[in-house]
Amino acid sequence: MEPKTAPEKFIVPIGPQHPALKEPGHFEFTVEGEVVTNATARLGFVHRGMEKGAENRTWIQGLYLMERVCGICSHVHALAFALGVEKLAGVQAPPRAQAIRELVSELERIHSHLLWLGVAAHEGGFDTLFMFSWRDRETVMDLLETISGNRVNYSANVLGGVKIDISDKQADAIRKGMDFLEERTQHYLKVVTEDETFLGRTRNIGVMSFEQADFLGAIGPTGRASGVKRDVRVDSPYTAYNDFPVKLITHTHGDLEARFIVRIQELYESYRLVRELVDKMPTGDLSVKVPRRIPEGEVISRVEAPRGELLYFIKSNGSDTPERIKVRTPSLCNWSSVLVTAVGHNLADMPMILAGIDPCFSCNDRIVTVNRKTDSTQMDWEDLRQFGIEYYKWM
Amino acid sequence: METEKALELAESLLKDFAISTNRPEENRVDFVIDRKNLKPAVNAILVDKRWGYLSAITALDNALWKVDETTKKKTIDPSGGSLELLYHFCQAAAVATLRVSLSYDDPKVDSICDLISSVSMYEREAAELYGIEFVGTPNTDKLLLPDNWPAGVYPMRKTFTSLEDSAKG
Repeated sequence: MEPKTAPEKFIVPIGPQHPALKEPGHFEFTVEGEVVTNATARLGFVHRGMEKGAENRTWIQGLYLMERVCGICSHVHALAFALGVEKLAGVQAPPRAQAIRELVSELERIHSHLLWLGVAAHEGGFDTLFMFSWRDRETVMDLLETISGNRVNYSANVLGGVKIDISDKQADAIRKGMDFLEERTQHYLKVVTEDETFLGRTRNIGVMSFEQADFLGAIGPTGRASGVKRDVRVDSPYTAYNDFPVKLITHTHGDLEARFIVRIQELYESYRLVRELVDKMPTGDLSVKVPRRIPEGEVISRVEAPRGELLYFIKSNGSDTPERIKVRTPSLCNWSSVLVTAVGHNLADMPMILAGIDPCFSCNDRIVTVNRKTDSTQMDWEDLRQFGIEYYKWM
Repeated sequence: METEKALELAESLLKDFAISTNRPEENRVDFVIDRKNLKPAVNAILVDKRWGYLSAITALDNALWKVDETTKKKTIDPSGGSLELLYHFCQAAAVATLRVSLSYDDPKVDSICDLISSVSMYEREAAELYGIEFVGTPNTDKLLLPDNWPAGVYPMRKTFTSLEDSAKG
């Protein structure tokens, strides 16, 4: 037999479908032994043609369509769209509406970060943390339901303002909820920075240097965990962020642990902001009138979604339907950068690294086939996750 | 103030490449450039000077519409119009956009993947939905559309109305 000279090289496909989770995606990791040498993505399994769809609908219908781009961060999509359209129309929502928009944005961020904490803990094999954080997330989901009537797709925005108001009773419920969550969050921060087994999965894993994150355009908590000072709320304040500013949270390590710490510290900021907003809510109207036909022009509307900068490019031809709506979601940016940085890491770290950017994550549970000349192993996402957990158990 | 400074810096970095410069909003500056200057321009603004980061690539179909006087029906006039690519760079509140116009007959532009590796997905998206060819892009696999999507059918073009219509020609 001839001795093998070339190293074994396998492609491990992950995804695309998992009916129980949110967004399917398909990744192919080329591995040499344990180490990932190349990574690519295939998206579009839930491509719904919304950008095209928006061109055939009125501006008002577009608002509802855009709110449904994402189920987790629905409010920011409607907000980015509404802000852009209002700018083109030359109108501005009243101060109370702006404050309520910020309030709902921050409540949404709280629910999204807690959801992520649970998902990421689950990928790391820490299901107790997963269950606790999701239990606590119900607090903020209930608050959102109380003020808007919906757990998701709150539909708080209209073009020109908001359609929900905050009563004193609701404000009290929000304050109580924030107190409870703040106490719980202190516990989570302690767990993710002190628990030995968990640190084994996060410390110095998936490191993205400042240089990489900055140049490749990493945004949101993923970028901030590498020290990239990018936060649209701070850089280019929209709605009420001028009057109720947010503190920029960054970390320098750029590893998974830093991504946990940044998101958890952002939760504190959100609690503080939410309290301040309900305490000092401006009085006045909730909306202004926006014309049915939007004047011709182009506008770029940027907001900070829970996962990072969300960019809308809106072009109007002067009619009652848009000429073009371009949506660039934060996950797309972060996928691009994480796929580049995945190279060189162990296959066992992939679930955590992918979960670490908080993609609207889902690409699970398809069969993974590792082709070898002599034998063939099949792994689905659950197996790979388990493989990751076992791999680190004996380190 | 800082935004204004950033915009002026972008203007000075790109002055050699810009055919025209425009300020559509107070925090934005647009540069119309020739497609052959795309790579040098990206090099100048991002690679050399690290002016912000590439936030998004927007593709546009600037179709020429004509309105029938009697029926008031809007149809596309194939004699005009063009495709356009918008490369948005963001630095804090400032946004600089490189605008590259491409004709329908020859919608080709150099890939900037070798300058910024993370840009591959944006290029794949524009290639698939608008039929723009990025010369030298490393990955041309389908990103968003189904595997069985017919070749040469670009759903975000204004001429596309449905798959059935496209099949009829």
